[in-house]
Amino acid sequence: MLTLAWRNLWRQRRRSLVTAGAVGVVVFLSIWYYSIGGASVNSLYQNLTETTGHIQVHVPNYRDLREFQTLLIRNEQSVRERVNATVNQGEVVGVLEVSALLSGEDRSRGIVLVGQDWPEQIRRRFVDQNLSAGRFLEADELSGIVLGESLARALKVGLGDEVYAYAPGTDGYGAAAYTVIGLLDLLDANIEARSAYISLPAAQELAAPDAVTRFEVHFPEIRRVDEDQGVQLISADLKAALPDYSVESWRDLDPTLVQMLEILGPMMNIVNVIFFVLAGLLVVNTVYLGLMERIHEFGVIISLGASGRKVMGMITLESVLLCITGAAVGAVSGLALVARLAQGFTFPGLQEYYASFGMNPILYASITPQQVFFSVGFAIATGILAALWPASVASRLEPVEAMRFTA
Amino acid sequence: MSQGNVYSVKNLKKIYHTGEVKTQALSGVNLDIHQGEFTAIAGPSGSGKSTLLHLMGALDEPSEGEVWLNSTRIDNLNKVDSAQLRLWNIGFVFQAYNLIPVLTALENAAFVLELRGLSKKEREAKALEALKALDMAEYADRKPNQLSGGQQQRVAVARALAADPRIILADEPTANLDSKTGHALIDHMLRLNKEQGITFVFSTHDPRLLEHVSRLVQLEDGQIVSDEVLQLA
Ligand SMILES: Nc1ncnc2c1ncn2[C@@H]1O[C@H](COP(=O)(O)OP(=O)(O)OP(=O)(O)O)[C@@H](O)[C@H]1O
Ligand SMILES: [Mg+2]
Repeated sequence: MLTLAWRNLWRQRRRSLVTAGAVGVVVFLSIWYYSIGGASVNSLYQNLTETTGHIQVHVPNYRDLREFQTLLIRNEQSVRERVNATVNQGEVVGVLEVSALLSGEDRSRGIVLVGQDWPEQIRRRFVDQNLSAGRFLEADELSGIVLGESLARALKVGLGDEVYAYAPGTDGYGAAAYTVIGLLDLLDANIEARSAYISLPAAQELAAPDAVTRFEVHFPEIRRVDEDQGVQLISADLKAALPDYSVESWRDLDPTLVQMLEILGPMMNIVNVIFFVLAGLLVVNTVYLGLMERIHEFGVIISLGASGRKVMGMITLESVLLCITGAAVGAVSGLALVARLAQGFTFPGLQEYYASFGMNPILYASITPQQVFFSVGFAIATGILAALWPASVASRLEPVEAMRFTA
Repeated sequence: MSQGNVYSVKNLKKIYHTGEVKTQALSGVNLDIHQGEFTAIAGPSGSGKSTLLHLMGALDEPSEGEVWLNSTRIDNLNKVDSAQLRLWNIGFVFQAYNLIPVLTALENAAFVLELRGLSKKEREAKALEALKALDMAEYADRKPNQLSGGQQQRVAVARALAADPRIILADEPTANLDSKTGHALIDHMLRLNKEQGITFVFSTHDPRLLEHVSRLVQLEDGQIVSDEVLQLA
């Protein structure tokens, strides 16, 4: 029977290719679809967690405090060590935000100077996406500053120019001069007009030695909402380890986004159902039509003495072989595509749209093993089920009727 | 049922339903076929020859009546048993050849043996022998769509012969053959009938074939109008 099935497939390569191709296309599309859908949801998550980190540590009640002094976590080193002790993967970033007056030659602006560490991975992504001119800060650079392009325009300064920062009433020098070493082109114009980065040591020297206003914990490896449970666990651990501080996960920081993600889930499910119904129809149609036109042939085989069951078996085996081959090819090429898109891609034409929401237009495709498994299983199961109907028609009919059968 | 009866057909009726339309293809056929007979069923087109052969070959269900084969009733067998019967006991040659398109002439001729589970070597040896007897060996590797109608017909005959059945039912087996190949086929069938005692029942219009039959059954409008045993020269 295997030889019969194999011979049918091999001798009718075109027909086999069409059927296996349909299954392959469906698997490929499912994987692609899942990975893009996942990318859109996850990009929301990534956008947020890249800017805020997954977890933030502040002084207690920091939202109600106004005074710069009261917002400081003063013993930076020892708190950093306590955070590090609990969070063993991930990157701990110290941030010191200083309200300051920034002046160019003859213009000034009140802004928030951000001094922070830049772990390699985060720095690289930030620079790749945002730096439009010059270079970025070195870790302990004391005199360089990187400005948003529109802020630089407002101050009428360019690369190599001096700017002056005044932060009176702080614990540091309270004033410093910096050279503009780089410019940023940020997605959000408002943010760009307020952005000025210096190194953490520079900010501490200016305003608060050995202090930060917050720690951010980043997990650059966690890029999917469904991998987020780990973050919540670590956040809980950190809360227990730092009772004297305020520890919040991104869920606490942005409840609106959490809600949005929660609405997106069921919405995706509805779209999923529609997608898979259509994909299923493609498989059913191809397999079914391919077999209906062979009912005459099955009738001949039965009339020569093959049992209906044997013919059923032969058809099923053929379908299994075709579906598995098609699905394998579809899965391999689908996953290859996902691997490529996982490096980052944009929807052509939609960049502006994403940017207008302050979102990174670069999406990162990703897919879970369960989704791959489902895509493959779905296509194979549909293909085999679609084969069973013509097979049962052929074996139910009297041989003479089957041989006269026209679909 | 008398001794030596291979087939006993009793009051056989077949009505086809196509939508509202009913066609009475057989209206009460009684027929006994004896061991070793070489019987032709003749009659105008539409008289029910194919229908009768199909029912005798357990390929379809009658509307009424009985078909007995070697004292077994075969018109009401279940699907599995009737498939077994066709596989092991009856060789059938279809009017429309019904070759399997993906298979070569040799594989088609060997197909019944393949279903019986014979090894490739054994079955192809037998199939080739059958093709040779019909002068078709040189076309062994061709697919049906690369053969003429007459050539396909001979492959269909070879498929039935290769399986060595005791009974062969053939629906117009010489219809598409020229006189040379037609005669060759007739001679071969006669030889199998004489030497091996194979019982043949076939439908035909072919006067060449009718010359040689031992019994001629005339069918008209689904009824037997004459049934004569002929003295052969
Ligand atoms: N499947 C079917 N459905 C409906 N009518 C049928 C069917 N098969 C045969 N018939 C009708 O039954 C009658 C007998 O047909 P059958 O094929 O047995 O004739 P035949 O004697 O073999 O004719 P021919 O010499 O043309 O082959 C015809 O009237 C035919 O139209
Ligand atoms: Mg006929």
